[in-house]
Amino acid sequence: MKSIVLSSVVTALLVFSGCSSKEPAVDSKTEEVSAPAAQEVQAPATETVSTEDSVVSSSTETTAEMTMAEIESKLPTVYFAFDKYNITPEMQAKIDEAAELGKTDAAKSFNVKLEGNCDEWGSDEYNFALGLKRADAVKKALVADGIDASRISMVSYGESNPVCTDHTRECWSKNRRVNFKLLP
Amino acid sequence: MKVIFSLLMLISFVFANDATIEVIKKADTVPSIAVEDASISYDDTFRLRFFKTLIADLNVLSIFNVDRHHRIANYNDVDVLVENKDMAYVLRYKMFEDDNAALNVQVKLLQKNEEVYSKNYRVSKQDIFMFISHAIAYDINEFMGEPSVAWMKRKVIFSRIIAPMKSEIVIADYTLSYQHTILKGGFNIFPKWANKAQNAFYYTVLDTSKPTLKYVDIKSGKVKNIISSDGMMVCSDVSSDGKTLLLTMALDGQPDIYSFNTVTKKYKRLTQYSGIDVNAQFMSKNQIVFISSRLGYPNVFSKRLDTNEVEQMVYYGRSNSACSAHGNYIVYKARESSNAFSQNTFNLHLISTKTDFIRRLTAIGVNEFPRFSKDGDAIIFIKNYKGQSAIGIIRLNYNKNYLFPLKYGRVQSMDW
Repeated sequence: MKSIVLSSVVTALLVFSGCSSKEPAVDSKTEEVSAPAAQEVQAPATETVSTEDSVVSSSTETTAEMTMAEIESKLPTVYFAFDKYNITPEMQAKIDEAAELGKTDAAKSFNVKLEGNCDEWGSDEYNFALGLKRADAVKKALVADGIDASRISMVSYGESNPVCTDHTRECWSKNRRVNFKLLP
Repeated sequence: MKVIFSLLMLISFVFANDATIEVIKKADTVPSIAVEDASISYDDTFRLRFFKTLIADLNVLSIFNVDRHHRIANYNDVDVLVENKDMAYVLRYKMFEDDNAALNVQVKLLQKNEEVYSKNYRVSKQDIFMFISHAIAYDINEFMGEPSVAWMKRKVIFSRIIAPMKSEIVIADYTLSYQHTILKGGFNIFPKWANKAQNAFYYTVLDTSKPTLKYVDIKSGKVKNIISSDGMMVCSDVSSDGKTLLLTMALDGQPDIYSFNTVTKKYKRLTQYSGIDVNAQFMSKNQIVFISSRLGYPNVFSKRLDTNEVEQMVYYGRSNSACSAHGNYIVYKARESSNAFSQNTFNLHLISTKTDFIRRLTAIGVNEFPRFSKDGDAIIFIKNYKGQSAIGIIRLNYNKNYLFPLKYGRVQSMDW
């Protein structure tokens, strides 16, 4: 539950625009405005895919018992070079594994959101677009591996979702990444 | 260096009104001004704070040689202080608290011991004193008959990241010394003023299922959904009549520029390129500039909306990833060093579509978020240097940059 508190400061900021030259400036008020309809995002419920009573004794597949969180923890993070959105062979292998996992019965019912991220260099719209192109590159690779495009959505967080905040090259390289988030 | 300067001087006579040419004359010819404090309320700390703010504002006017000594005077004395007798102007002010605890300031401008101008100001709360200071500077500038500095009274809106995927949207004065958080909680970025009156703004929400552009009416507090896109959504510019937005959206996973009519709610795709097109800015009704990766690295391009003609605007800098436009002028951020991680990484440059000159506006540090004032007279930007952040004001016609220290938080995006 997130709430947005809106209050008005304009009155205070606009006060001086209308001063006449000899009269005292108009008094200013900082007026509290009631909060707008609370904006909220539903927390995605974690759903258990398979419970004991639905599994026949023959089931030895571990994936059948994996929850969404467990599957997500097995999904890779795809890293990129500076100012680049092409996928390296090493990262391609990780995406192939993720695609195989995505095709298993346990994971089939989930959709995936690809989150593109960048390092702190270039805090502009361009950086957000770069994050998106990274997510899009991963999406294309997943689709090429046989994942249905309709199961994949994307978002770019630019540089605003760092996993590492030190000002070092190692740290920056950790932030140039695409994360997989499962959606029910 | 001398050769360059003399060349510039020569050229400046030919193109007297071109802002891409640095003005280097009239450096020492501006009149002197001293400020005398005749306050009768408030403690010394606050008095000194107000004095410093006023000195900074007078400096930004760039029309005075401002004396920085804090001297105490009596408001009604006819003569200026003996230390200030050689000053061309003396600005004397008296701060006092009235019965409602409001801050009142009386101001008079003295020239050769004659009062040539006076005005009174009042705000209900002491902590918004900087708006009085900006108003005094604005009025003195008007009195002196100089080109308007109306941008001093305009507000800056910016977003700052407070934790991963957590941000705030803040409204501030032009020095960012007054800050009011208007949107708390959630992941809200890329705020953009919706109109000239600055009573509404657009912003992007990222913690919804799709990135969504919203509109906030500040007075009523009402929030409206405007449009959503998978992947990315940014309002890059608003036309001067407020009716057309330039958006970066990615309806098919591809970041491209769209125009959006706020009346009909219809959008139109303006660019179609398989790489990155972002950061569109109106130059005129029929022409935009934008950042594109068409050359394999970010650079500034323009596009005519009537003929679809695309033109490269900048032939300098290895990575020009942000720009702001006003009329024929474009200010852009350039990475000059070939080493992406070296010091002295990003500087601001000014170009004009009418000439081939490039004017370098900053010299050191990481300089970003350049934004023209509405009248094109000044540029605001953020400077990061040696772990310190500052807000900068560039007075193009005076060839001066002013810096104000920035308190806390990393600015994500800014509009003026």
